[in-house]
Amino acid sequence: MVKASLNTDGQVLIKNKQKQFSPWKLARKKFLKNKIAMTSLFVFVSFVLIAVFGPLFTTHDITRINFMSMNLPPSAEHWFGTDTNGRDIFTRMVYGARTSLLIGLSCMTFIIVIGTIVGAIAGYNGGKIDQIFMRITDFVLNFPFLVFVIVLNTILVGKVSGVWTLILVISLLSWGGVARIVRSRFLSEKENEYVLAAKSIGTRPIKIIGKHILPNVASTIIVQATLMLAVTIVAEAGLSFLGSGVPANIPSWGNMLFEARDSDVLRNKTWIWVPPAAAITITILAINFIGEGIKDALNPKSRR
Amino acid sequence: MLQYSLRRILGMIPLLFLTSIVVFTLAKFMPGDPFGGEIDPSNTNPEYIEEMREKLGYNDPIHIQYIRWVTNFVQGDFGHSTAHKIPVFDLIVDRLPNTIFLAIVSLIITYIFAFAMGMYSGRRPYTWGDNLIAGYNYVGLAIPSFVAGIIAIYFFSFQLGWFPFAGSVEVGLQPGTWDYYISRMHHVLLPALILGLMGTASYTQFLRNDVIENSRKDFVRTARAKGTSESAIYNKHILRNSMIPLITFLGFDIATLIGGAVITETIFTYPGIGLLFLESVDRRDYAVLMTITMLLSFLTLLGNLIADLLYGIVDPRIRLG
Repeated sequence: MVKASLNTDGQVLIKNKQKQFSPWKLARKKFLKNKIAMTSLFVFVSFVLIAVFGPLFTTHDITRINFMSMNLPPSAEHWFGTDTNGRDIFTRMVYGARTSLLIGLSCMTFIIVIGTIVGAIAGYNGGKIDQIFMRITDFVLNFPFLVFVIVLNTILVGKVSGVWTLILVISLLSWGGVARIVRSRFLSEKENEYVLAAKSIGTRPIKIIGKHILPNVASTIIVQATLMLAVTIVAEAGLSFLGSGVPANIPSWGNMLFEARDSDVLRNKTWIWVPPAAAITITILAINFIGEGIKDALNPKSRR
Repeated sequence: MLQYSLRRILGMIPLLFLTSIVVFTLAKFMPGDPFGGEIDPSNTNPEYIEEMREKLGYNDPIHIQYIRWVTNFVQGDFGHSTAHKIPVFDLIVDRLPNTIFLAIVSLIITYIFAFAMGMYSGRRPYTWGDNLIAGYNYVGLAIPSFVAGIIAIYFFSFQLGWFPFAGSVEVGLQPGTWDYYISRMHHVLLPALILGLMGTASYTQFLRNDVIENSRKDFVRTARAKGTSESAIYNKHILRNSMIPLITFLGFDIATLIGGAVITETIFTYPGIGLLFLESVDRRDYAVLMTITMLLSFLTLLGNLIADLLYGIVDPRIRLG
């Protein structure tokens, strides 16, 4: 705690009685103590590492159909068995993690960037600009998400390569919620005196938004980011499960789950659909716990 | 309240108009020619094709085509399904009740379970039961509906044989008979349970926190001081106050259920609007595709409108904003 006191000479003395922590450092300490969140972080980071480096170590060829090894149950040769096309499921899981996490992380980045820019401009300026930006946001939010993603994907597929179609489409249709939340935080934050002070010495608006207000809104944005990561991973898997997501030749967890739509696979060949189902659920659970942990750590009122 | 409602309803009109433009434009960009399904495919004479193009209005300027489509649409003429060979209107009328039935049953299930769990958790916070419910909600939030759906089919339809895994009614039953209704209920129950139980998390969490907050308020202390029994305090005094904000969730639920119908209906091969939509994407059945996209957008708007109006009823301050 900083204590300022006036001594007899009229000088201001500042005593550092206790060691000081910045809010970010406090939050980090709180997060590190949160066992569930740390376990989840460990799980998520290991999934990411497997996705990045796993393909370097896998030996099975999953690019061609292998009639000799169709529908094999798990064995020493094929850890998770093989699918209806004779491809090794473990290898496909590793590549699938790459696709699913790449889509999740890129969508999250795009959504947060677009949402923050729109929300910041609308919230900081207010008035007419706010009105226009928010009407556009309402418009985007009013689309039934899945329906429009499927329609847009059908149009764009083949025009943009591979997974980027899906990333583009999901991002374009999902930034509305983030924009709304960032705007409302900006609206309340800009009333503070430090903003007025910055304005009065002639700081340019872009600098006020980026350097002064944004750090104060960052905690909200970070929490939104974890939420969006979970939402977009589920969206990718769901769309691929419906057959309108990632192109069928690229392995993703959703594409692998697509095989469970065949009732024979669902009933008799559990090894084909259980790994992707489990991977998706564990990933989402981990991300949700990380998000809860961050929210808790950044909330000065919560004590744990 | 009336002025607020009117303002909200009028605000929907430009959004609907813009949506119709977007839907029309998207349909024009769709790969393949929608025209192909409307003519005699065996006749490849270019003169015949050109004549039919002219006759069906595919050579008109784009804005004329749009105006024609919207005018017909507003009058209930949604065009002709090229895959099913019947008017789209009839197709929708045939499928929509299934979707609405599923949505209502799953909402009822959500409400029953969420209220039971929320009240229990709120009354006994930080106990073993409360933690169990919180754990269930975490898992419920993390499992996507399609994963829950296939697991449910695997266990309840295939392993235990309790529920059918496809369709909305047994084939060959006469509509109107008792068996028919029982069979419909039997078919809808598994998808509705999955959808319903997945949706409880937000309700339960909200109700729990609100009950805890309310239980510290003065009116509860007064009731206790007067000797009101503990269950009467919770089930009458607190529940009434905590229920009001929950009403506003309803509007968003409508939007979520409508949007999620595509996935649920596909897993359970349940013949509703969502399944019809996916079929029409695969078969390039543009009239159906456009109609369903418009219909679902309209229902989403309606859901948001209901949410807004309910907010206005619950919190009078919003009406002035």
